[in-house]
Amino acid sequence: MIRAARSRHASLLSADELAALHAAGLRILERVGLELSLAPARLDALCDLGLRREGSRLRFPSALVEEACARAPRGYRLCGQEPALDLDLGGERCYLGLDGSATEILDLDSGAPRPSTRADLAAALRIADGLPQIALTWPCVSAGDAPPAQQPLHELEALLTLSRKHAQAMTVVAPEHARAAVAMAALVAGGREALRARPILSSFQCSTSPLAYEGSALEAALVFAEAGVPCGFWSMTIGGGTAPVTVAGNAALVHAEVLAGITILQLLCPGAPTFYGTSATMMELRRGGVCCGGPEDLWLASAGAELAHRAHVPAAIGTFASGAKASGWQAGVENALSGAASLLAGAELWPGAGLLASARIFSLEQLLLDAELFDYLRAFAEGPGVDEERLALEAIEAVGPRGHFLGEAHTLRHMRSVWQPRLLDRTPWDDWLAAGRPEAADRARDEVRRLLAAPAPDPPRFAAELHALVEEEARRLQP
Amino acid sequence: MSETHATLVELAQKLYAGDAPGVLALCKRALGEGLAAREVLDAGLLAGMEVVGRDFKAGELFLPEIIVAARAMHAGIEELRPLLAEAASGAAAPRTAVLGTVKGDLHDIGKKLVGIMLEGAGFRVLDLGHDVAPERFVEAVRVERPQLVGLSALLSTTMPMMRTTIAELERAGLAAGTTILVGGAPVTAAWAKEIGAHGFAPDAVSAVERARELLAARGA
Ligand code: B1M
Repeated sequence: MIRAARSRHASLLSADELAALHAAGLRILERVGLELSLAPARLDALCDLGLRREGSRLRFPSALVEEACARAPRGYRLCGQEPALDLDLGGERCYLGLDGSATEILDLDSGAPRPSTRADLAAALRIADGLPQIALTWPCVSAGDAPPAQQPLHELEALLTLSRKHAQAMTVVAPEHARAAVAMAALVAGGREALRARPILSSFQCSTSPLAYEGSALEAALVFAEAGVPCGFWSMTIGGGTAPVTVAGNAALVHAEVLAGITILQLLCPGAPTFYGTSATMMELRRGGVCCGGPEDLWLASAGAELAHRAHVPAAIGTFASGAKASGWQAGVENALSGAASLLAGAELWPGAGLLASARIFSLEQLLLDAELFDYLRAFAEGPGVDEERLALEAIEAVGPRGHFLGEAHTLRHMRSVWQPRLLDRTPWDDWLAAGRPEAADRARDEVRRLLAAPAPDPPRFAAELHALVEEEARRLQP
Repeated sequence: MSETHATLVELAQKLYAGDAPGVLALCKRALGEGLAAREVLDAGLLAGMEVVGRDFKAGELFLPEIIVAARAMHAGIEELRPLLAEAASGAAAPRTAVLGTVKGDLHDIGKKLVGIMLEGAGFRVLDLGHDVAPERFVEAVRVERPQLVGLSALLSTTMPMMRTTIAELERAGLAAGTTILVGGAPVTAAWAKEIGAHGFAPDAVSAVERARELLAARGA
């Protein structure tokens, strides 16, 4: 039910380059440190564990960072609501997730962006749940019609009820929301111990680049970790803005920020499952804004994944999310190359599918296009399979010069494993003309309509109880 | 057209290159040579900035180059300011902008860009930072009486905080006396109108243009 890609690891960075990036990250941690807006007691506790403090600035001795990171598990499972949907982050597989969290969605009928609602999130999740290429869910659009303080909970409710795939709560960034999220996931999993044994939920917290973490984000991470919910750390640097403009400087800064988060987590919750996340990009140098696509991004993705693996933790690497405003040539080029970079670097988690306009606008059509692109890359990653049977020497001999392979038994045996597109166009020219010269996005739109026309599945047995819990938690939070 | 004084030509070039110490030194030299502050501003600094703006629009200059030019401009204007005020030239009175990313929102690089560009355009900018509560905006506006208030937000969860902040400014009787500009990736002109802001700008460069237009329209 889930299609993962085989990791085709082929390091693009030399061993020396990797070592220099890692050393630079450690040096930033030791010399510059990070500003952490944590309560004094927390800061004191971290100092007792070996960090050095000057006001709210914490410096990280390199040996301590290496030692703390070594406590994190290299591989573990992100569970689905049924074992068939589990993901293995052991390094052999690449998984595509939904991306998030856009504030707008491209309206299916008008094609224009508009603020997203819970209904949009529900539609996206229904489609994502049925796509074997989507391995885990994110709130790909925000529940903009819910009161602000409650949005993260409504989003998580949608993830947990509309799909049985693993849910990653990417908008839960405060401890009070994290506590509610843990209660919600425990209800679905069948209790807190069941959640710990089979984490159907994971999370991550972002650094505030350059070189800071909000205290609330770190506290949220600890709430998750204490409940056994995997919690990653994520850096979203912007080269030229919140990070150096050079790829190497940007990657080193990302490395320092993510390792800082992992170190703090491992000092306070040794052994807690975590991951290394980055969606580093470049500032658009002519008007401001973010690029989300470009050759620098490919290197930032490669460096991120390789540095994660050097630190012996799984990598979650921002993949796809083109800067293009529409599902056309630019999105195709940028996302194909972005996927190739993540594949070659062996990134375990790829968020993900469906975003346009530099991660601001979600498109259901783009979700299908990205899923197809992932499938294309997945088939590529399988490799050519060079063995006796597939070398086909017997068939070649049987057919001989000037014959053909059409009716050969060998052809019939293997033709079903030839990759088939759903959205790429391979129809004859005249058919294409007769159909009104459709673009891939037009075919995707038809497919979205078809999928959404199918009757909605019954809500899961826990839906009413979960909804009541969300309402209760929401009342507790300020609107 | 009269020939521009050699010092001013050089000043405009230093400004274009974003050389703040050079701009400062040349402003001093020009004044020492007996040129009026107004002339140094118009034929030196503003003339240089015009070329910067032209080349930026043409895509030849990158934002960081604009930023260093804006900083150099700021340094030059600060040097000239006392003399300009003496000359009682209306446009010279420092215009103040209070800026901030609204409460609950940490995104601040875009707002920082807006601040630098405003400084380059001669504003005195008070940047309240990110995660700024409405009370802090109210307090700052009460104390500073700025001509411009700039609110930034990047999240669907914090866009409503722009409305709250404007409402608080209105409640304190401070909104009518200033001009409120809003921006940030998800913010639109329609949203600005809906929440009672005076204007919206999609990026840092147009933020300056929009601010100027709005202030000119109010005669501020
Ligand atoms: C006064 O008048 C004006 C006029 C013009 C104005 C103006 C004011 N302010 C801005 N402008 C305009 O001029 C500027 C220059 O031309 C422009 O400013 P911008 O800010 O647009 O442009 C900057 C130069 C570059 N752009 C940016 O800096 C924003 C880029 C994106 C990728 C982004 C970043 C980098 C960050 N983020 Co955040 N982030 C995203 C952003 C996606 C996007 N494409 O916008 C967005 C906004 N974030 C989002 C999310 C989900 C989150 N973020 C969060 C955190 C962060 C970082 C801290 C990691 C980082 C900010 C670091 C920093 N120091 O600012 C979290 C929330 C924290 C919080 N409470 O604020 C977190 C929840 C993620 C998490 N799990 O932690 C999404 C929105 C979700 C929602 N529901 O609204 C998001 C769309 C990305 C995504 N697809 O998920 C114009 O908008």
